[in-house]
Amino acid sequence: MTKRLSNSSVVSLYIAAGLLVVSIFLPWWGMRFYAPQYPEGLDIIVYPYKLAGEIDIVNSLNHYIGMANFSEETFPELQVLPYIIVGLALLTVVVTMLRRKSLLYGLIFIMVVGGIIGIYDMHHWLTEFGTNLDPMAPIDLEPFVPPIIGENIIANFVTNSYFTYGSFLLGIAFLLMLFPLWRDRKQ
Amino acid sequence: MKKALSAVSGIAVGFLAATVFFAEFGGSATPTSTASSDERSKAEQVYVPFGEHDDYYLMNSGGHSGQLFVYGVPSMRHIRTVPVFTPDPATGYGYDAESKEMLGDYTWGDFHHPALSETDGDYDGNFLFATDVANNRVAAIDLEDFHTTDIMEVPNIGGPHCAAFVTENTEYLFLPTRFSLPFEDPHASLDDFSEEYRGVLSAMIFDQEQKTFDIGYQVALPPWSYDKARAGKGVSGEWAVITTYNTEEATTNLEINASQADRDFIVLFNWKGLEEMVANGEYEEFNGEKMVFPENIDEHIYLVPVAKSPHGVDVTPDGTRFIASGKLAPAMTVFSFESAFEAIENEDFSGERNGIPVLNYESVMEREVDPPGALGPLHTQFDDRGNAYTSMFISSEVVKWNVDSGEVLDRHDVYYSPGHLVAAHGDTVEPHGNYLVSLNKIAKNNFLSVGPSHPESMDLFDITGDEMVHLSTTPVNPEPHYGQMVHRDVLDPFHVYPQDESDPLAVYDQNDTRIERNGDHVEVFGITMRSKFIFDATAERPDVIEVNEGDTVTIHLTNTDFDQDITHGFGIMDYDLNFEQMPGQTKTLEFVADKSGVFPVYCTNFCSALHQEMTGYLIVNPKE
Repeated sequence: MTKRLSNSSVVSLYIAAGLLVVSIFLPWWGMRFYAPQYPEGLDIIVYPYKLAGEIDIVNSLNHYIGMANFSEETFPELQVLPYIIVGLALLTVVVTMLRRKSLLYGLIFIMVVGGIIGIYDMHHWLTEFGTNLDPMAPIDLEPFVPPIIGENIIANFVTNSYFTYGSFLLGIAFLLMLFPLWRDRKQ
Repeated sequence: MKKALSAVSGIAVGFLAATVFFAEFGGSATPTSTASSDERSKAEQVYVPFGEHDDYYLMNSGGHSGQLFVYGVPSMRHIRTVPVFTPDPATGYGYDAESKEMLGDYTWGDFHHPALSETDGDYDGNFLFATDVANNRVAAIDLEDFHTTDIMEVPNIGGPHCAAFVTENTEYLFLPTRFSLPFEDPHASLDDFSEEYRGVLSAMIFDQEQKTFDIGYQVALPPWSYDKARAGKGVSGEWAVITTYNTEEATTNLEINASQADRDFIVLFNWKGLEEMVANGEYEEFNGEKMVFPENIDEHIYLVPVAKSPHGVDVTPDGTRFIASGKLAPAMTVFSFESAFEAIENEDFSGERNGIPVLNYESVMEREVDPPGALGPLHTQFDDRGNAYTSMFISSEVVKWNVDSGEVLDRHDVYYSPGHLVAAHGDTVEPHGNYLVSLNKIAKNNFLSVGPSHPESMDLFDITGDEMVHLSTTPVNPEPHYGQMVHRDVLDPFHVYPQDESDPLAVYDQNDTRIERNGDHVEVFGITMRSKFIFDATAERPDVIEVNEGDTVTIHLTNTDFDQDITHGFGIMDYDLNFEQMPGQTKTLEFVADKSGVFPVYCTNFCSALHQEMTGYLIVNPKE
C-alpha cells in the first residue's frame, strides 16, 4: 500500500524542480572585500558554473599574503555542479511523476546529504586557501579560515561572506520538497 | 563738590561700562563682520566638500609650457596637467616610442586656444584640440583618457596663433597663420614682402574614428598677421571669421608700423563654399596641399573693416552676430552676419584689398559699444540671457553688456590685464550663464612672493545675478591663453585600458613574457604588476634584461593590473628613460644600449606598498 502524493504536493515539487534549474543561472555565494583604497568594495561572486566579480584584482592583492590564485580552473566543482543540479531537478520530476512518498523521503535525504557535502566542500576550500599560504609571501600572516557566512578581517581588508539568490532558491526548493510531508501527513 | 565729583565719576564709570559693554557686542555688527560673512558665503560657493566633485572642467591652455592645465570649477583646484607639445617626465610623455614619434624632435611648444569638439554647436566631450604657435603643429587630446592622441605638423604656415576653432559639427578646425612667410621662393627677401609672402589658412579635418588629422584645404591669404578665428553657428554655420592686423604689410617694428592704418580687417569666409570648390577641383596644387587663391575667385572670401589691430572675434550663441574690436580701441563693435550676407548679395563693397572685396563697414556694423574709460577690449563670452562679457586688457576689468541694446550693465575689476575670458559653455549655442573665469596675465603681489616674477592668475565670477560677483582668485602656471569650461556630465573618461588580444606587443599572461634576440636587436615582451617587473618568467631572474653594448633594445611592457589608478612607471637609470603606464596599457621603449654596465630599472610611479621593491636590472655587457 504506497502513499500517493496529493495534487498540490505535485505542484509544489514541480516548482521545486523548476527553482533548482533556475538557481543555476543565479549567484549562490559571495564575498565582498572592503579596504581604505577600495571603499566601493571588491567582489567574488560564485555561480554554480563560474566565478564573477573582481577576481583578478583580488588575486593580485592576495599575492601579498601568499594566498594561491583562484580561478574557475581551481574549482573543478564548477564544471560538474550544474549537471548535478539538473540531475537533482530531473530526479525531483521523476519522484513527482511516480507520486510515491517513500521516494520523496529518499529525495529529501539526497538533498540534505548534498547540502552537507556542499557546505563541507566550501569549508574545505576556504581552509585550503586560508591556511595554505606561501611562506615566501611578503606579508607573513597567521593561517586563517574565512567564515562561510559573516564578517572577517584579513590585514587591511574587512570581508563579508554571504549566501545569495541562487542558494535562497535552493532553500525555497527544499522547503517546497518538505511541503508534501506536511500536506499529505494524514495519508 | 563731593557731590559733583561723585556725579562725574559716576558718569565716567557709566561711559566706561557702556563702552566696554557696547564694544563687546558692537563688534559683531560692524561693517567688517558683514564683509566677512559675505566672504564666508563666497567661500561656501567655491567649496566642494570631500567626496564630491566640481561641476565643471576648466581646460586651460598652458602657453609656452606646451601643456594643458585642467582645473575643477568652482573650486579652481588644479586636477591634472596633460602634456601636449612638450615632453613630460611625470608621465613619460615623449620618452616612450609612440609619444616620442608624435613629438618629433621638439622639446617645447606654445600651446594656444584649446577648442572642444562640438556637435550641433555644443561641446560633445570627445576631443580637445590645440595648436602650437612655435612649431606649426596641431594636436588632439582624447578626452576618454586625457592623453594626446595625434599631433600633425602643418606645412606652409607660420604659427597658428588664433587656432583652433571648430565648426559646429567639428567638420573643420581653422588654423590661420600669425607670421606670413615666403610663399613660392623660400628665401624671398623681406623687401618683396607684399608680393612674395602669404599668410596661409589651413582648414584641418580630424577623423574621430581613426583619431588622425588631415588637411582639407589651404587658402593663400594676403601677407598679413592673422589673430583669432571663430566659426559661425546656426544661420552663420557655414561661415567663419578671422581677425587680421598688419594689413600695412610692414616688415619691421610692427608695434609702430602695424598700427598706422586706421582700420584693419576681419576675414569673412564661407568654408562650405570653399569645400565645394575644392571638391570640384577648383584649386591649385601647392607644396602637396590643395591651395585656394582668394584673388582668383569672386565669392566665398570677403573683408570687413574693423578698428585697427583687432585681437578677438566672437560669435553670439544664436550665430547672428560677431563681435570684434581694435585691441587699442575703447569700443566693442557688433557686426551682423545677416547684414554681411545682404551686402555680399548686393555687392555693397567699399573697394577691394589684395583682390578680395571689402564690405562697406556701415552696412555690416550694427553698433559700437563704448563703456567710458574702458580700454583694450579683447575677448567676449556669453551667458544664457543675451549678455556679453568682454575682457579689457588695458583697464583690467570685465564689462558686462547687452548684445541687443548695447547697454553696459556691470563692470568689475580683475587682477590684472585679462587676456581671455571663459564662461561655462560660453562660446557654444547654449551658454550656461553661471560661471565666468578671467584669465589674467599678471597677479602682482596677490599671492606669497616667489621673487621678481609673479604667477598669472584666474578670477572666478558668479554671473547668475544682475551684477558679477567675484568669488575667488587662483594662481596659475604660465600662461593661460583661453580655456574651455565644460560641464562634467558631458565627459565620460574610462578607468582601465581594455584588454586588446589583437595587439601583438601586449602580454597579458606572465607565462607569455619573453626576451627575443634577433642579431643585435633585443626585444622584450614583459609585464608590470604589483609589485614587480617580469621580462621573462622562465629566466633565473625574471626582472633582469641582459644585452650587449651596441644592441638596439625594444621593451614592450603591459601593465597587467586591470585596477583603477594602479599606475606603474618604468625608469632606466642613467639612460634618460622613463614612462608611466596606466592600468591595462601597453607601452614601448626603444633605445640603443650604448653604455656598458649594470643599470637599475625601477617603478617610477608609486603603485603599492611594495613599490620600492619593484626593481630590476638592465645589464649591458661590454663589447669584446
